[in-house]
Amino acid sequence: MLRESSQRSGTIDNLNLQGTVNPDADSGVPQGSLLTAFAEAAVRQTDALPGLRDQIVSELGVQELVDAAGVVANFQRMVRIADGCGIPLDEFTKDATDDVRDELGIHEYASAANTA
Amino acid sequence: MAFEYTGVDLPIREKTIASQRMSWEMIANPGRWWTGAERVEIARIGRAARDFEAVGSEILPEAAVYSIQKLVVDNANLNREWYDEIMASEGITEDRYVELVAVVVHSFSIDEFHRALGLALEPLPDPVSGEPTRQRPAQAEQRYSWPPIVPKAGLNPGDEMLYGPMEWGANVISALSLIPENVRWLHDLSEGHYLSFAEMRQPDPLRAISRSQIELIAARVSALNECFY
Repeated sequence: MLRESSQRSGTIDNLNLQGTVNPDADSGVPQGSLLTAFAEAAVRQTDALPGLRDQIVSELGVQELVDAAGVVANFQRMVRIADGCGIPLDEFTKDATDDVRDELGIHEYASAANTA
Repeated sequence: MAFEYTGVDLPIREKTIASQRMSWEMIANPGRWWTGAERVEIARIGRAARDFEAVGSEILPEAAVYSIQKLVVDNANLNREWYDEIMASEGITEDRYVELVAVVVHSFSIDEFHRALGLALEPLPDPVSGEPTRQRPAQAEQRYSWPPIVPKAGLNPGDEMLYGPMEWGANVISALSLIPENVRWLHDLSEGHYLSFAEMRQPDPLRAISRSQIELIAARVSALNECFY
């Protein structure tokens, strides 16, 4: 979805998908490092979370903070639906993203076993 | 009324509030296989699990409590063998499991929204009395996921479009469809926290952050959960 949305918008020249799995990698998405740090702090409930909230409000805005929190909340749910029901990848996604999954090491995840 | 956000100086969107209120109502009411009291208890156990509190329950089967805790804190390690063990446990069926997952993940998602923003958690709703309907859709079939799912024809009237052009929907959309109400629930809370299914096909601007920023956050959360899907 990230690759597709970036291609569609045409606004990101150097999308680096390592930014989704490696906190030290620059994704190329504007303010991407700040947003992924916020996501990580929210998922792991770390002490960094309050400061990152303030930073998002300061650098992006308060509506941006609320919307970012919504995305975290949504995907905390979606991953548990996928894991809890053992769903495989959709056929239309499997072939299109196989190279990316290899590159990012996602094939190593335990839930990869749900996709033949 | 729930989700008043009194004293909260944040621009919470109306659709977010509406979808959260609808979720609390869903949880409080009897479902197809659990009573309202049991559904609220499922949410309570899930909430405690997030804080690594392994609380017990006087009204839920032991396997249900264990499933809730695994879903919340150890979802990356769920596998077919575990699912089969749960299905062989007393007090759990495929139908009850699917309904339990739906209550856990939707209540958890709303709690996570609050935690991400540093807000106090909303008190859980008071259960509504009544009996579960105990109705399994006749169209349910075992397909590619662990529990059976239903095709478009098995959804509630008016919800067929949520599967788009696909007879069985995208895998994650149909995953909880053994309880057809879950498909609408999934959509409406998606719209409140992220994007509606229709918005997912539309260009920016959709929210205050760009679609690329949205999907970067989504991908990071998925990676942190080691979710292959």
